[in-house]
Amino acid sequence: MGWRWFHQWGSPRWFYERAGRWQLVCGWLALILLVAGSLWGLGFAPVDYQQGNSYRIIYLHVPVAFLAQAMYAAMALCAVVLFVWKMKLADVAMQSIAVMGFAFTVLSLVSGAVWGKPTWGTYWVWDARLTSMLILAFLYLGAIGLRAAIQDPDQAGKACGILVLVGVVNLPIIKYSVEWWNTLHQPASLKLTEKPAMPASMWVPLLVNILGYYIAAAYLVLGSMRAIVLERERRATWVKELIGRA
Amino acid sequence: MSIEKRMLARELKLIAARPGDIFKPMWFLMLVISMVPLALAPDSDLLAEIGSAMIWVATLLALLLNTEHLFQSDFSDGVLEQWLFLDRPLAWLVGLKLIAHWLFHVLPLILITPIAGLMLSVSTEVLFALLATLFVATPALTCFSGLGAALTLGSSRSGILGVLVMMPLFVPVVILAAGVLIRATDGSDTLPLMALLGAFSVVAATLVPIAVSAAIRLNIGGSN
Repeated sequence: MGWRWFHQWGSPRWFYERAGRWQLVCGWLALILLVAGSLWGLGFAPVDYQQGNSYRIIYLHVPVAFLAQAMYAAMALCAVVLFVWKMKLADVAMQSIAVMGFAFTVLSLVSGAVWGKPTWGTYWVWDARLTSMLILAFLYLGAIGLRAAIQDPDQAGKACGILVLVGVVNLPIIKYSVEWWNTLHQPASLKLTEKPAMPASMWVPLLVNILGYYIAAAYLVLGSMRAIVLERERRATWVKELIGRA
Repeated sequence: MSIEKRMLARELKLIAARPGDIFKPMWFLMLVISMVPLALAPDSDLLAEIGSAMIWVATLLALLLNTEHLFQSDFSDGVLEQWLFLDRPLAWLVGLKLIAHWLFHVLPLILITPIAGLMLSVSTEVLFALLATLFVATPALTCFSGLGAALTLGSSRSGILGVLVMMPLFVPVVILAAGVLIRATDGSDTLPLMALLGAFSVVAATLVPIAVSAAIRLNIGGSN
């Protein structure tokens, strides 16, 4: 046994084949959870006494906003793995997570704006959480832009890693300073330490959807990582054989 | 002469060779400040209200413009490579370079902000607060924009990417400085916020040079 499980991760081919199987599992799981959670949340959960039906966008907005933040942490973890164990796969993960994280951040900003119009009467306010989300979007954009500007993929990956690590140290400072600057947003809908204020018939479908979105994100990241592995290893024989077969 | 002294002397010589480099950011700052009343209105009450914030943002932009190519010439003529062979940690040399940059390029910028303040009819108390925040905050800003400059060293087509990448990290500094300015306008106590701003600057000045040196090593090492 020993270190074999660890060294396998250094082989792009091993990853490509395994990730294909994981992707299949993730895809079906996410589909089942998202269909169940969304149907339940949108069709059967009770109407909110204050916000009416417009609150139902939380079944999209909350999971997406969770993911937007979690993915930056995941990217920082990949940067640590890249620097400590020099694992190239971590760089591939960083590259795909940056794009996906940016997409989720934009989606959470847009869904928040759509929700803000009926609830606050405006699409955008300079509220603490909106502002830190916007800054997060710029941080993701920085990681994407820096990689695009540097030609050598190894060098680009390490430069991005430095940027992401500096970013993750700063992120809590940014978050707290922005919070101190202005706060108007309703307090977090779900907290790990407290019982939610919503009835179970509202938060259980939300939890199902959150899980569904996380697994869907894993599906998307795995898919994009496989594509990047193929592109980077395009000169390897196994890739040529694979493409020849298809 | 020690390496540190020689480095500072070299920076001075470089400035003596091209003194225009110091004036361009100041020129930029004054131009931006002149645009504000033109774009807004020549109303001195209105200008006094937003003046200090405008000066802050304009100084920030001038500083960014100034630091964008901090390591570029040292990189292309091989000085950075020589740094690796010195018996000093790279982060220390980077720190020295940043200090020299702050002294010779950022400090002149801060010193002309009172003139900009007079032009925008900012009151004396707020002007002092503005100067204090700039003194305390610019070391952190210089370090972060230096990191942006170091990260984009290897790419010829980066443009202002280093600035774009680093700007989101300035958020806490700008918020704290704005807090100080607002409190100075009300006449309330600015010390707690100044202390936080100073703490941020100290932490940035100690840790960011390490990240900058990693970025420089990366660009010199090339693909290995």
